[in-house]
Amino acid sequence: MSGTRVLVVDDEPHILRALQTSLRAAGYEVEAAGSAQEALAKAAARPPDAVILDLVLPDGSGTDVCRELRRWSTAPIVVLSVVGDEPEKVAALDAGADDYVTKPFGIDELLARLRAGLRRAVTPTGPILEIGELTLDLEKRALAVSGRSVSLTPTEFELLRFLAQNEGKLLTHPMILRAVWGPAYDRESHYLHVYVSQLRRKIEPDPARPRYLLTEAGAGYRLVVPQQS
Amino acid sequence: MTGLVFALRPVAPVLSLGVLYVFAVLPVAVLFGLAYALPVSVASMLAFNWFFLPPRHTFALRDSENWVALAVYLITASVASELAARGRRRAAEAEQREHEASLLADVAARLLSSGDVQSQLPHIAARAAAALRIERGRIELDSVRRPEPHESAHPSVAGDRHVGTLFLEAGAVPDPGVSRRLLPALASVLAVAHDREQLARKALDAEALRRSDAIKTAILRAVSHDLRSPLTAIRAAGEGLQSTALDLTPEDRRSLLDTIRLEAERLDRLVGKLLDLSRLEAGAAHPLPRLWAVDDLLARALDDLGASGERISVALPPEPPLVRVDADQIERALVNLLENAVKFSPPDELVDVEVEDTGAEIAVRVSDRGPGVSAGDLERIFEPFARAPAGEVRAGSGLGLAIARGFVQGNGGRLSVELRQEGGATFVLALPAARLPTATGVR
Repeated sequence: MSGTRVLVVDDEPHILRALQTSLRAAGYEVEAAGSAQEALAKAAARPPDAVILDLVLPDGSGTDVCRELRRWSTAPIVVLSVVGDEPEKVAALDAGADDYVTKPFGIDELLARLRAGLRRAVTPTGPILEIGELTLDLEKRALAVSGRSVSLTPTEFELLRFLAQNEGKLLTHPMILRAVWGPAYDRESHYLHVYVSQLRRKIEPDPARPRYLLTEAGAGYRLVVPQQS
Repeated sequence: MTGLVFALRPVAPVLSLGVLYVFAVLPVAVLFGLAYALPVSVASMLAFNWFFLPPRHTFALRDSENWVALAVYLITASVASELAARGRRRAAEAEQREHEASLLADVAARLLSSGDVQSQLPHIAARAAAALRIERGRIELDSVRRPEPHESAHPSVAGDRHVGTLFLEAGAVPDPGVSRRLLPALASVLAVAHDREQLARKALDAEALRRSDAIKTAILRAVSHDLRSPLTAIRAAGEGLQSTALDLTPEDRRSLLDTIRLEAERLDRLVGKLLDLSRLEAGAAHPLPRLWAVDDLLARALDDLGASGERISVALPPEPPLVRVDADQIERALVNLLENAVKFSPPDELVDVEVEDTGAEIAVRVSDRGPGVSAGDLERIFEPFARAPAGEVRAGSGLGLAIARGFVQGNGGRLSVELRQEGGATFVLALPAARLPTATGVR
């Protein structure tokens, strides 16, 4: 953990201070920036391993910063958004942000997103994906839930495969639609909603309380290893 | 007439009997005017001459009597026809004025009975055009636009005020007398109706403003308390942690920190609700409808509820029931309903959620085992700041159900409450059922 450098960008001094304190306490090296210009300058001077980025900055939007960073950096970016600013959040995700948390957020939630982003940056995946009790065999195109084989339609399998290969990562509706249905369908999110509901009936112990396939309101879906409750 | 003169010939001198021809001329003059009376006068003179004046059966005019007779007929014809024509003109004028008066009365009545002047304009224009003997016309209030090539414009002026413009077909010449009398009167009536409508609208705006002001005051009063209590707790806990005068055990510190976190979360929820409400009040909560499975919306709502969501049992139908709604708004509505149900249920009782597909509607039924709702309050509880009766108040802003109903109705659905026989209440959130568009080329 030590030596992992995080660039935190927010124009609210109080939020910046709270984040710096918590991130340092969690063992990260922290660099702070209060504007888009400062963020890009600091990132260029010392490339960060991860970025926490507020969407609303005095001299531009976080989305633009995302786009600029993505021209040369693959470091995970977690954006901070506010309720009611869903379009900007989705734009940032499309511009290359990996994840988001909504203000006011809990620090545990932010740290979890940051860890997941950093972990994904290094982990390759093999032909058999194990996520909690789900075992997905990409070669045999087979799914087992708690060791019991479950049959999936071709579309359900493709959807689950794409989600599983990006485990823990927030995938926007257009990303999933493009990957599973094809580029012509990136606006047909209703197919996605229906297939997600059907898939949940096959993989979730309680489809009304999904623990694997989570909905991120206004943004997309995420397949995760269920937390022990 | 000739026969009558023939019959009376024995009792009177023929010449004086020529007067009887006046009876032929007179009615023609009265009924049909001078143009017809003139030939009849000449014909009468000729008939008198032919049949009765010597030499008979010739048109020879020997005596001056003939000329006298002709002059009498002609004078009678012209005087009678002129008098009759005057009478007719007066009658026509009276009829025309009566027509105009009834037109104005009708227009005034229509304008007064209908609140909307604009919707009456085509009818009024048609009647005015008919009175002006023009085929078509249209009235535009406040309009000063130039007439199109196919129109002619007639400004409608009441006093020195421009009320609007009457557009007639180009080339149509309105009856000058009628337009002189009718148009100013019409303009006055329109001006009055127009003013009346604007006053009514201003009064309505003022009333809406007053109401929204009253609502805002009520909101401020209600929430200032709700905002202050978590703030007070946070401040007290924060100062307690900082204080050097207090000797806190690690347990105390953890408890104070918990207070800060929980109260901040409560504050966050309240601010979220106020935002929802202000958006609904401002009419700014335009739904962005998309096709969703109700399970997904319920799952999101349950996730938002966190730990209290564990006291809810959900029964889903085998196939995902689809609705076309704004997911964020319906999720808010569901969260508020579920929160409410959990809050009013005894801690050891589950809240039951059932999703029903009736074909036309998808109904989410949220049943609690709380105190229920008294029959008179079935509607009132959906008003802002309606809270449970005193003594049963549990923390709540009184906004949740009002917001839920606002969002549900905004998405074409309905939200109502039913009493349960076994105690408690069932909130029914019904949304129009949607179907997946026929898949073309989609796997």
